[in-house]
Amino acid sequence: MKTAMELRVGNVAMVDSAPMVVQKCEFHKSGRNASVVRMKLKNLLSNTVTEAVYRADEKFDMAALEQENCTYSYYADPLYVFMDSEYNQIEVEADCMSEVMNYLIDGMEDICKLTSYNNKVISVELPTIVVREIEYTEPAVRGDTSGKIMKLARLKGTSYQIQVAAFVEIGDMIEVDTRTNEFKKRA
Amino acid sequence: MLKKPRWDIFCTIIDNFGDAGFCWRLARQLANEHGLEVRLWLDDLSILSQIEPAIDVDEDKQCLRAVEVCCWRESFVNTQPADVVIETFACTLPDNYILAMADLPQQPVWINLEYLSAENWTLDCHCLPSFHPHLSLTKYFFFPGFVEGTGGLLLEKSLLPARVSFNNISQDIFFQELGLQSRRDGELYISLFCYDDAPIEELLSACVISDVPIRVLVPQHSVNNAIGMFFGIDSPTVGQVLQSAKLKVCIIPFLEQDKYDQLLWACDINFVRGEDSFVRAQWAKRVFIWNIYPQAEQSHRLKLEAFLNLYTERMSPEMSVAVCSLWNAWNGNGQMINAWPIFAAQMTELTEYSNKWIRQLLPIGDLTSNLIRFSRKDQI
Repeated sequence: MKTAMELRVGNVAMVDSAPMVVQKCEFHKSGRNASVVRMKLKNLLSNTVTEAVYRADEKFDMAALEQENCTYSYYADPLYVFMDSEYNQIEVEADCMSEVMNYLIDGMEDICKLTSYNNKVISVELPTIVVREIEYTEPAVRGDTSGKIMKLARLKGTSYQIQVAAFVEIGDMIEVDTRTNEFKKRA
Repeated sequence: MLKKPRWDIFCTIIDNFGDAGFCWRLARQLANEHGLEVRLWLDDLSILSQIEPAIDVDEDKQCLRAVEVCCWRESFVNTQPADVVIETFACTLPDNYILAMADLPQQPVWINLEYLSAENWTLDCHCLPSFHPHLSLTKYFFFPGFVEGTGGLLLEKSLLPARVSFNNISQDIFFQELGLQSRRDGELYISLFCYDDAPIEELLSACVISDVPIRVLVPQHSVNNAIGMFFGIDSPTVGQVLQSAKLKVCIIPFLEQDKYDQLLWACDINFVRGEDSFVRAQWAKRVFIWNIYPQAEQSHRLKLEAFLNLYTERMSPEMSVAVCSLWNAWNGNGQMINAWPIFAAQMTELTEYSNKWIRQLLPIGDLTSNLIRFSRKDQI
């Protein structure tokens, strides 16, 4: 059990039987040594995001979550199938894939972290850095190798577009930070 | 005929008079101006009885001024929750009452009425939900405040008209009731209500060397000892007048709410504290100085600064400096003896500014009406 004041970003608290992940929290002193915590919470069952405010001493049960490392296997409409280290197949609903979809390609070997609540996968997390191939981008700009000038580039297999350095070319393999969707460097 | 909505207000008294005073005003306004059925649950009736002498501290339930006043010591096993439930100042509702709310087919509107603050974060938190961690209940946080986007301040419909009609004759009658002589021209009247740690000696020292005669009216409360010490006597009693040079200090009885308003109207400068008297002083159209409730880690300084920033925003630079210096000194950050003459020199302008400040507050609407409006919102 944790108080609202003890909750941190990423913690998953139970709110009326629903696991809610804390996405943001701000602590404020209200009056006479009382405090409040403003939070942004995401319901892991419905994926809805809501803002709420709690007294700092409000007590929450923490969600019992399971996490395991898996790799993406294939798409079996409408589910995405992952495989754990013992070759068990785990089905994941599209709603839980969120930004993973931007980088999801057949044959990818990235180790993903699957989080489950009550034997149901509620979120999929990619490694912080993934390597992807550039499918299309405008030709490189001559003379600028600083990396400060950016341009749009489409990733192979997903059509997701990100900003990359101007010197990046079609066919290049690049590293992307999946937390921020930012280009890091050529792989 | 439509049934009157029922409201329950819960209040635990942490210290002093502000909790009970605020809740009593709110309850009365809900019942008398808006015709609502109101129960006020208080854990200590003796505090309320000092503000409202008609309260019988031995009665667990009594009806007074159209409000049912209940002593909050029962188990709440068979208490039917109201349609709107207000927990004030983050008091914790009884477990049985919360369970009874959860059992109702339609959830009552449950509001946590928070402390007053001018800090910007209150705007971001105002009206946000707070989902109960274990039950299907949602509480909403409601923040009083001084700007649009907050809940506003308590203001009865009758207060400002009563203030306007309070003339010299009513003022004389009021002073007579207190056993005081009528006001004398050229004498500065000050009411003093503050916490024990306010620099009372410094204030009185500054008043003693003032050019104009000053009369300080002090409702009987804990600071009287500090006043006695200044004059070298033990605890002064009601009716006593203490004098040093042009300064006279009169100890008057602790006043019930309506009378305290009149005291604020009758004085030129009002030293007020906490929340309730602080708000009343703003509606009094008089110069006021706030003694903020001291908090751990000096967090009250941020709250004082936030209010000063807002309050002095439209002042001239000279007036702003005068106000900030004196208010900070009165709250332990500066010298009263230096700040007082600069502040006193701005009296005329400051009194005019008090009217401007009210005009700035009025468009927000009063707290009680805003609460009712919120409680009726379709989405709740």
